[in-house]
Amino acid sequence: MKFKFALFAAFICLNAIPKRTLAQFEIGLSGGYNKNSLHTSAGYRSFTEYHARNGFELGIPVRYTVNEWLAVQAEPSYIQKNYELTRTHFFAGIYQKNINSYIQLPLLAHFSFGGSKLRGFLNLGGYGAYWASSRIKGVMANVFNNGPTIPDGQQVYNFLQLNQAYNYNEKYAFDNRRDRRMEFGLIGGTGIEYQLNGKYRFFVEGRYAYSLSDLQKNYMIDQIPRYNDTYIVQIGCLFNIRNIFQPSQEKTAK
Amino acid sequence: MKNLFKNITAVIFLLLLASACRKEIPQINNPQDTISGNFSEVFDSFWSGMNNNYVFWDIDTTNWDRVYKEYKPLFAKLNLYDSTDVRKGYSYFKEMTKGLTDSHYDLSFNDDWLQDSSSINPAYQRKLASPSYHDPISIFHFYDVITTNYLDPGRKRGFTNTERGQYVAVSGTINNSTLYFFCSGFNLKTLFETDTANGVKTVTQYFFDKLKNTPNITGIILDVRGNSGGALVDLDFLIGKMINKQLNFGYTRSKQGNGRLDYSPWAPAFVTPQPDSRNITAPIVILADSWSVSMAEMTAMAVKSLPNGHFIGERTWGATGPLIDKKFYNGGQFSTDYINLAYTSSLMLKYRDGKNYEGIGFPPDIEVKYDESAFNAGKDPQLEAALKLIK
Repeated sequence: MKFKFALFAAFICLNAIPKRTLAQFEIGLSGGYNKNSLHTSAGYRSFTEYHARNGFELGIPVRYTVNEWLAVQAEPSYIQKNYELTRTHFFAGIYQKNINSYIQLPLLAHFSFGGSKLRGFLNLGGYGAYWASSRIKGVMANVFNNGPTIPDGQQVYNFLQLNQAYNYNEKYAFDNRRDRRMEFGLIGGTGIEYQLNGKYRFFVEGRYAYSLSDLQKNYMIDQIPRYNDTYIVQIGCLFNIRNIFQPSQEKTAK
Repeated sequence: MKNLFKNITAVIFLLLLASACRKEIPQINNPQDTISGNFSEVFDSFWSGMNNNYVFWDIDTTNWDRVYKEYKPLFAKLNLYDSTDVRKGYSYFKEMTKGLTDSHYDLSFNDDWLQDSSSINPAYQRKLASPSYHDPISIFHFYDVITTNYLDPGRKRGFTNTERGQYVAVSGTINNSTLYFFCSGFNLKTLFETDTANGVKTVTQYFFDKLKNTPNITGIILDVRGNSGGALVDLDFLIGKMINKQLNFGYTRSKQGNGRLDYSPWAPAFVTPQPDSRNITAPIVILADSWSVSMAEMTAMAVKSLPNGHFIGERTWGATGPLIDKKFYNGGQFSTDYINLAYTSSLMLKYRDGKNYEGIGFPPDIEVKYDESAFNAGKDPQLEAALKLIK
């Protein structure tokens, strides 16, 4: 009942907005693949490296067209920003994958150029994001799991022969003394879009999100900061709002 | 179109400006590589080594940033080549570390002018200042008094001298059905597996034979009073002989990064049953006291986790974090040009109840305090409490 009422209210409101203004609004869906890496340092930790991990993103782009070449776009999204900590050489096999879920809101200036149907574009702006949850999955050595005795004179090739592996896959418990869950950053993207029937706009875009927020609060001297760097490839489709709610008037206008 | 490019250029310029808001990544050096040419370098390398390697920052009450702000200028005023300043530096190190939770913690120096000074051991200083302080029970109490006054004929006792020190072990039966085993430190497996005969090996073999062959065991008493700790593998080697399924008694975690709060997840701490084990259902009592340290405390935790396990004696020393070479777990002990060794735990350990007993000590089920007059009279109230429980 509530849903029906909300739909009705939206319909009334949209009818109250001048038709020309309504024609400038587009809403849609986007989704894609990303690769996130941490901009940080392992310091002097031996045989310890950070690596990029893949993730995905789903968004609802909302665009307001200002003029022929400029639009303003917001895109509330769910995005993963994953990374991996790996140990190497004698410690090979020890790793931790961090699967981090963010709710992100990019605000973009959308510059477009080209023909009436096929256009190139450049998205430039910033974003705010909330680190909603995290999962850690990996293998660590367990100091209390010695495993079989290694015979005298036999070489040891891996630390996990001495202390056996402990496999884990668990929800990460945030530490509010350390973890900064709000993230702000910059976004730049470029792509092409194709308009179909004056109703739909399909696009392909490559983006780079550059975080300006350390993942950690300033809780210690000589803290090594950690920043997310995220490369995203996404596709999506935008629908003209006036055409969704008033398809007949669109025909009349033509 | 002209406006388009003008606006794009302006926005890109603003974004490039904003991108400079990221903090620089500081260079963190290995404290071991520092050249201690002056006291500022000595302080920096030590402070930084602790900052990145100490594993108890999660629970420690020492404000390490405040230590930096307070002591860095003080060290900067000292001269490394003035013996009075070196003594002053020693007293600063003592003040800086006095509140550290880690009860393994021990700081020793390479400076020739400090060779006559003891290493800095905050837990020991706290112990000395405690109203309940008592000296450790004499090793002769175990070696002579218990052997003579409590154990049945046929008992075994022995000692073995190694590079790490002397290990003493005593074993026997009480009323022919209760097994007793004492060891002063944990190096049992290594000594047992050596080709040459040694006192501890003989005693351990005797205890294992009794464990296997005594038909109706009424109880087992494991005595780790005054035990200074040692090899973790002895937990499986000793307790693993008395169980037939994995015994979980706690959780451990290590450092994972350079940050003070960068930890791995908690991994289960457990004892693995040994292939030739006998599942003991009779009471197993561990005797421990305030001089039971590290592996002795972990053994007390493991025994207390058994359904038939009991812990009698006093609250233990409080050094419960496992300690191995720092190379393995990315944290723990380190050295600098000036510091011979900052001896500190490699991992944190919490008991299965979720509590961390580091710096506090693991509490007994039945507290029986140290009674000097009783010990002097050849009596052992703690051992007698264990025998009473077993009856």
